[in-house]
Amino acid sequence: MKKLFTYTILIIGAVVFIYPFWWMLAASVAPQTSIGNLTLLPESVSLDSYSQVFNKIPIARSLFNSLFVSLTVTLGVVTFGSMVGYALSHLEFKGKNLLFYIIIFTMTLPFQITLIPQYILMVKFNWVDSYFALIVPYFLSGLSIIMFNQYFKTIPKDLIDAARIDGCGEFRILFRILWPNALPAIITVGIITFMTSWNEVLWPIIVIRDDNLMTMPQLVTLFAVGGRAESQLGVKLAAATLLAIPVIVAYAFFQKYFIQSMASTGLKE
Amino acid sequence: MKTKKAIPYLFIAPYVIHFLVFISFPVLFSFFLMFNKWNIIAPMKFVGFQNFYRLAHDHLFMQSILNTIIFLVIHIPLQIIVALFFAVMLSKKVKFIGFFRAAYFLPVVVSGVVVTILWQQLYGYEGGLLNRLLVSIGLGKVGWLVDPKIAMPSIALMATWKNVGLYIILFLAGLQTVPQYLYESAELEGASSWQKFRYITLPMINPTMFMVVILSTIGGFSLFIEPYVMTGGGPLNSTLSAVLYIYKQGFFYYHMGYAATLGFFFAGIILVVIFIQRRYIEKETG
Amino acid sequence: MRKIIIKIVLSLLSFILITCGNTGEGSENKIIYWSSNNTDEINFAKVIVDNWNVKHQDNKVQFQPVPEGQSSEEVILAAVVGETTPDIYSNMWQGDVELYARAGKLVSLDTLPGFLPFIYARCDSEVVKEVTSSDGHIYQIPWKINPIMMIYNEKIFNNMGYKNPPANYSQYLRAAAKVKENNMQDGYVNKWIGYTEVDVTWWQREFDFYSLYLAASNGGHLVQDNKAVFDNKYAVETFRFLKTLFDNKYFPREKLSAKQDPFLSSDIATRFTGPWEIVHANKFKPKGFRFNFSTLPVPDDHKGKIYTYGDTKNIVMFNTCKNKILAWQFIKTIISKEGDFELLKMTNQIPRRKDLTTDKEFSDFFKDNPKMQIFAVQAKYVKGPDNCPVLKEVFDAISQQFEECVVYGRKPPDEAVKDAAENVNLILLQQ
Repeated sequence: MKKLFTYTILIIGAVVFIYPFWWMLAASVAPQTSIGNLTLLPESVSLDSYSQVFNKIPIARSLFNSLFVSLTVTLGVVTFGSMVGYALSHLEFKGKNLLFYIIIFTMTLPFQITLIPQYILMVKFNWVDSYFALIVPYFLSGLSIIMFNQYFKTIPKDLIDAARIDGCGEFRILFRILWPNALPAIITVGIITFMTSWNEVLWPIIVIRDDNLMTMPQLVTLFAVGGRAESQLGVKLAAATLLAIPVIVAYAFFQKYFIQSMASTGLKE
Repeated sequence: MKTKKAIPYLFIAPYVIHFLVFISFPVLFSFFLMFNKWNIIAPMKFVGFQNFYRLAHDHLFMQSILNTIIFLVIHIPLQIIVALFFAVMLSKKVKFIGFFRAAYFLPVVVSGVVVTILWQQLYGYEGGLLNRLLVSIGLGKVGWLVDPKIAMPSIALMATWKNVGLYIILFLAGLQTVPQYLYESAELEGASSWQKFRYITLPMINPTMFMVVILSTIGGFSLFIEPYVMTGGGPLNSTLSAVLYIYKQGFFYYHMGYAATLGFFFAGIILVVIFIQRRYIEKETG
Repeated sequence: MRKIIIKIVLSLLSFILITCGNTGEGSENKIIYWSSNNTDEINFAKVIVDNWNVKHQDNKVQFQPVPEGQSSEEVILAAVVGETTPDIYSNMWQGDVELYARAGKLVSLDTLPGFLPFIYARCDSEVVKEVTSSDGHIYQIPWKINPIMMIYNEKIFNNMGYKNPPANYSQYLRAAAKVKENNMQDGYVNKWIGYTEVDVTWWQREFDFYSLYLAASNGGHLVQDNKAVFDNKYAVETFRFLKTLFDNKYFPREKLSAKQDPFLSSDIATRFTGPWEIVHANKFKPKGFRFNFSTLPVPDDHKGKIYTYGDTKNIVMFNTCKNKILAWQFIKTIISKEGDFELLKMTNQIPRRKDLTTDKEFSDFFKDNPKMQIFAVQAKYVKGPDNCPVLKEVFDAISQQFEECVVYGRKPPDEAVKDAAENVNLILLQQ
């Protein structure tokens, strides 16, 4: 029966995508020597690997750092993205077209060109090993502008004109009228920005050297690559699990939004 | 009302400032750096075209570009085939579609670092899960990350596992735009499943297909964290990606001028490839 | 509108406040001193600093361990780049000094009054020559070393009928074959004569190739006068020796995961390691476990003293220091006889002084610590890395050939050494 075949494949697929995470969790709570034999359930459960992680690296602090940085970046991107998106969609000014093409250009620019000078800027501004280095270069994003622009264009001009006649200032219009009506766009841009910011590792590795300021993915990366885990599997996997937990928790609750948002980056192309 | 006219400029001012400081200055400075030698702590030294000469003779850099291309050549087709396969399965009105979708998408949201550390253990030669599985069914161990010929394909496989969920969703959306009546009339004419797929489904999802290819290409060219964590570029430099090499030159040896040159060159390659892809798409859909 | 302007002003203010933060600058009357963040060394530093501060109430030393980061070398580089360097740093790897010296970031200590006589009184003239930069000045003070020697499991060798550990390559290989023979299970070897990391990370070579090369060549250079000088029979012999070990599976090719220390669990019979192993081994060894140290194996036709690598860490003064004379006074207390003795007692690391085996206080200490005595004797025949600003790249180039020839057996030793030398010359040329 075709149906049986379909379901079998789909279930095997689900196992293939979920089981490795389960294994990771199980291995992180299993005693070190038994990991080599682990398949489904650990021999015994111990939090030793986790306590080692907490002892060796400031992982809780890094969670805070990541949250702080990603939330701030998201705030900035949504705010400024909607500002520029609004200007492009409903305001008149000289150089509008030029600005639009510049934005498109920056989105196609490969980061390999700007990486090194941006690092040097951080050095000159004295922002190395500071939150500024992690936040400011990412505070605005071309993608968010394009997305907001496209979404705002669907909001009827009459609504905005009416507000103007009523004497509303442009800022008021943006925040009081457009934002409430553009929730889907805000959520989409918000989630994409947050996830991208959270997962960014190369830039933090370059500009942050102080353990206490590292983002969570960065700290776990360096922990796994460097010698501090002392090649102990369980400890490395515990660190990885800790890194995965916040996102998985958010995903469990907001799964629909995640899938929709991250998929729409593709649809907009 | 002077202030009213100024408002739009205020709106775009943050972006313009940000662009000037963080984009145009770096691009210009990068261009300037190409003709200099600088290790950040000593003063800059003008060296004319020396960095270009060096690039032209840099076998390792060429190797890293080749490695990146090998990665793309394996990863992209694999991703398309697997994503399309599962999307087709899911499009057949299955129950619990929400569950399956969520399951397949899970690796997409999780950080690449988690996936890399996890797969490093799965790929372990002696005690890794995959090899244990192979041994238990009577096959031999595979040198996933230690055999220079297999290491990059292993990374491509892992990247596919991580990202395919996203593309399943995209293909699913694309499949759902195919009008049912096309299939129905094809069935009336006696078309087989494969024929339906080949002559109706595939052409109709061309746009999605191209989008998948372009997104994967851009992502693939930035390959960095996976080789950085899993193999450090080895074995025998087979997993040294271009970005990893540029990173090493710039932030490990501090050859800032040379790294800028490499960056520009590599960016050029990326732009050419994307341009070719876009042209091809325009021809196909135009 | 007003609200927005206020927000902008506030954020600019906070930005200014945060960026004009602590720059760690010393002043005329204060000295900033960074030590390594190794617990023992921190305790040692505290003792030295407290002693000084008691006597110099107006010129206190402010001490802090290097901030936690991926590696202390990275942290120092960041400090140099950001111009937040301390006055004195005592954990500078000898291989990094030339880079900073050439960039003008370090004080040329030989220009300080009283420096030269002091340094020649403490160290061998050969050692002083070793740390002299290419421009003739001295930018670092040889402080401490951890010589790499061979630790061996006495019981395993006794059981095989050997009274002494292997001294040269042939003996080592013969013992290796025996170990393999005795430990074959279903065609799979589970114990080996030794182990070295197959990692291509550049500093791993310090523990295998470089130490063995120094032993074979009586302290030969890798790089001299901006040219690769290791394209010689010693490097080839070293590569061949290591390659043979891997080819015959005398060394495992897989990473021995640290579920347990492979030497203490008797999985490997020898290891190339330093004095830090003594405390570790004594703490974790199983009952009845006996170990000792000996010199590294050398080629069969070797003549003369057996050298080794010393993981030399030295003291430097950054040119941001405002009171260099005062700083030098403080440094003298670190490397005085009392200071060196404290270092030895508290950290088990060897101070690089020439009277280590002749001075009564030290020799009494070694009588009570015979295993350390072996290192003290070796200390006279130790080399640090060459003066080269791109040493990391040099080691990287050698590591690449190591991987190809020794680990993967893809090319013969002489070709590997030749290729390495060629690549290194290219690197040196492009500096």
